[in-house]
Amino acid sequence: MVNVFIRKLDAAGGLNETDHETLRRLSSHDRLVPARQDLIREGDRTETVYLVLSGFACCYKILPRGRRCISGLMVPGDFCDPRASILDEMDHSIATMTDCTVVEIPRQTMWRLIEDHPRIAHAVCWSMLVDGAVTREWLIGIARRLAPERMAHLFCELLLRLRAVGLAASNEYALPFTQSDLADMLGLTPIHVNRVLRDLRSRGLIVLSRRRLRILDEARLIAFCSFNPNYLHRIPVIDRISTEKAMNDY
Amino acid sequence: MPRYFFNTDDGETRLQDGEGMDLPDVQAARAIAMSSLPDMARDKLPNGDHFTFSVQVCDGVGTLLYSATLEFAGQWHVPPGGA
Repeated sequence: MVNVFIRKLDAAGGLNETDHETLRRLSSHDRLVPARQDLIREGDRTETVYLVLSGFACCYKILPRGRRCISGLMVPGDFCDPRASILDEMDHSIATMTDCTVVEIPRQTMWRLIEDHPRIAHAVCWSMLVDGAVTREWLIGIARRLAPERMAHLFCELLLRLRAVGLAASNEYALPFTQSDLADMLGLTPIHVNRVLRDLRSRGLIVLSRRRLRILDEARLIAFCSFNPNYLHRIPVIDRISTEKAMNDY
Repeated sequence: MPRYFFNTDDGETRLQDGEGMDLPDVQAARAIAMSSLPDMARDKLPNGDHFTFSVQVCDGVGTLLYSATLEFAGQWHVPPGGA
């Protein structure tokens, strides 16, 4: 089985086979967590860093009057906030959105990993910086993009993030979210999410059925929301491998 | 939790809600209905000077429980395109 976590961190570049083996050992003890359960809550002491191997998880906060705001998504291969190995207390909650396979990494293990393996330390740092860039892009979307562009932007982002770990073949991927989930990610009401989904469908950009999203024309969707993937800082691993192979063959 | 249905209209596209949403009570339904109006307005306003945005909240048997409209009226006081 190709470990999605290794694929993800490989995008940082520079990991060798020894590092891969270390990461493989780190992620060998996983457990299944059912959908819609908190992994850790705002205010909790941070004893562990979570790693998602399958399923979707999210960072969220609950605002007054019970309103939830989702500030980030974790797809397979993502750390749930590795800052937790350094900061003492959670400043947001993390929950599974679907059934998830997760790995719990005690913070001492995380420290050792970073102290003993400089290339992995670099990759973890890279992934935190990319997480920051994604948050910045979401902030810009909520502040300035109209709802259809904002949603299309999220769909482009997920396409690239899932493709990078081999989960978006033929421009299609699982989108197992409710309209309320999307609303809480995009800063819209679920009612408006419904309208915007319909709008994107009627423009012939997407098909969403049985919780799978198909992007009909990637170039057109990218142009529609002026998506610039620079903030993800990664060339899909498959492309890079094939490019490297092509260069070696040459 | 009871299910509420939200029919919306941004002056161009009218949408009947076929799925509905489970909410604690009609006050929660009203709150969501109200916030959907500025959502619609924000997307639509750059395209014109006259809009009426409306939302209706119905229960499971189609009884109208709450409705709201938001109107936008822009007006030029110089020839459009600049004085």
